[in-house]
Amino acid sequence: MKDFRVLIVDDEVDFLETIVKRLKRRKVDTTGIDSGIKALELLEKEPFDVVILDVRMPGMDGIETLKEMKKKRPLMEVIMLTGHASVESGVQGMHYGAFDYVMKPADIDELLGKIHEAYERKALHENRIREKLTI
Amino acid sequence: MKAILLNESSSSSFNPYFHAATLLAAALAVCLVFFGDFLFAAAALVVAFVSFLTTRHLTRLVAKANEQKSDLDEQLIQSQKLAAIGELSSGIAHEINNPLAIMGQETEWIKHLLKADNLQAPGATEELRDSLREIVDQVDRCKEITHKLLDFARKKEPLIQAADVNKLIEDMARLVEKEAAQKNIQILREYQKNLPRVPTDPPLLRQVVLNILNNAAYAIGKGGAITIATRLSGGDAVELAFSDTGCGIPKEQRDRIFDPFFTTKPPGEGTGLGLSISHSIIVKLGGRITVASEVGKGTTFTIQLPVGLT
Repeated sequence: MKDFRVLIVDDEVDFLETIVKRLKRRKVDTTGIDSGIKALELLEKEPFDVVILDVRMPGMDGIETLKEMKKKRPLMEVIMLTGHASVESGVQGMHYGAFDYVMKPADIDELLGKIHEAYERKALHENRIREKLTI
Repeated sequence: MKAILLNESSSSSFNPYFHAATLLAAALAVCLVFFGDFLFAAAALVVAFVSFLTTRHLTRLVAKANEQKSDLDEQLIQSQKLAAIGELSSGIAHEINNPLAIMGQETEWIKHLLKADNLQAPGATEELRDSLREIVDQVDRCKEITHKLLDFARKKEPLIQAADVNKLIEDMARLVEKEAAQKNIQILREYQKNLPRVPTDPPLLRQVVLNILNNAAYAIGKGGAITIATRLSGGDAVELAFSDTGCGIPKEQRDRIFDPFFTTKPPGEGTGLGLSISHSIIVKLGGRITVASEVGKGTTFTIQLPVGLT
């Protein structure tokens, strides 16, 4: 599989640093950032393939960030990360185009599996658009 | 088969199937001429001619009846379509009218507050702010409705990936479980192990599963159980069944639960689009979704997904 870039968005800095470190150790090109607004600013400058996004964040929450992200980069896949398991936010997240939900504390191998699936989907999506444009 | 034969008879003027009697009589006439029996030959010819006319007449009648029937079918489909559109529009009208009414009231109030002497009154700015906030909220509500509606209408083509449905469902079950436990709702699993991977659109299927689990918890309210079962069905499909011990769906509502905007939740709590979106997703995924329910006992939603790529 081609190299891809992952962005982790979570206001809990300890959790953020740990997960970035663990993914990097598994040779995944990972960047961490601690707020939704900063993440959106970063997306203006750099492309990412998969985003791991915390649902509950102060300021701009996960669902709002997801909506803005999907507007900006509709092909980028977003995996929601949740600690408190709210069904309402789950329903909303899936409705606004999230790829999946992962419960905290996330098992790193499970998360990695989901990242790969999400990236596969993005690649499929891009291929389909490419095919449509060439026909 | 019948229809095919009838169609052929109406398109070609002569069909040997329908004119068997005529042909027989004609053949008999030829034989009788051969044997020199002209009187009977003439009679056989008359019979052949009458039989030909009758058959032709009957064939035409059948073709005409068939045409009328398909006209009627067409009309029926059309009237069902119109009824669906009617229901859809009244649903939209209802959903949008409430926020519009509130916005109307708030604007009137703002106009009143903006009159010079009212503006001086204590708390006027706060009231203005309140009214504006309310308007913003209602605009958001309208936006959400149109967004969902567009989502419903837009042909989102599924992206097919192989999925382990047991795992996919389990992830969603865990998301629902904590909140369900607070309402004393248990989630029971009856997953069949080693199911084949299903070619499907995972996030779309997750959306459906979450929606059904959410509805099940709502139907139960407090205290009860949701049973999730998966199994291989007929060798070429995987079946997912979600049973709840909730209030059940009365018979007269059961036919309408997949209709857009049909909801039994109080206004503001549900748009009535969840199940219709779920239905259209499952159809797009090449599957089927059905419901069985008994009032007071509970409801089971069953989804069948094809295992082979379609």
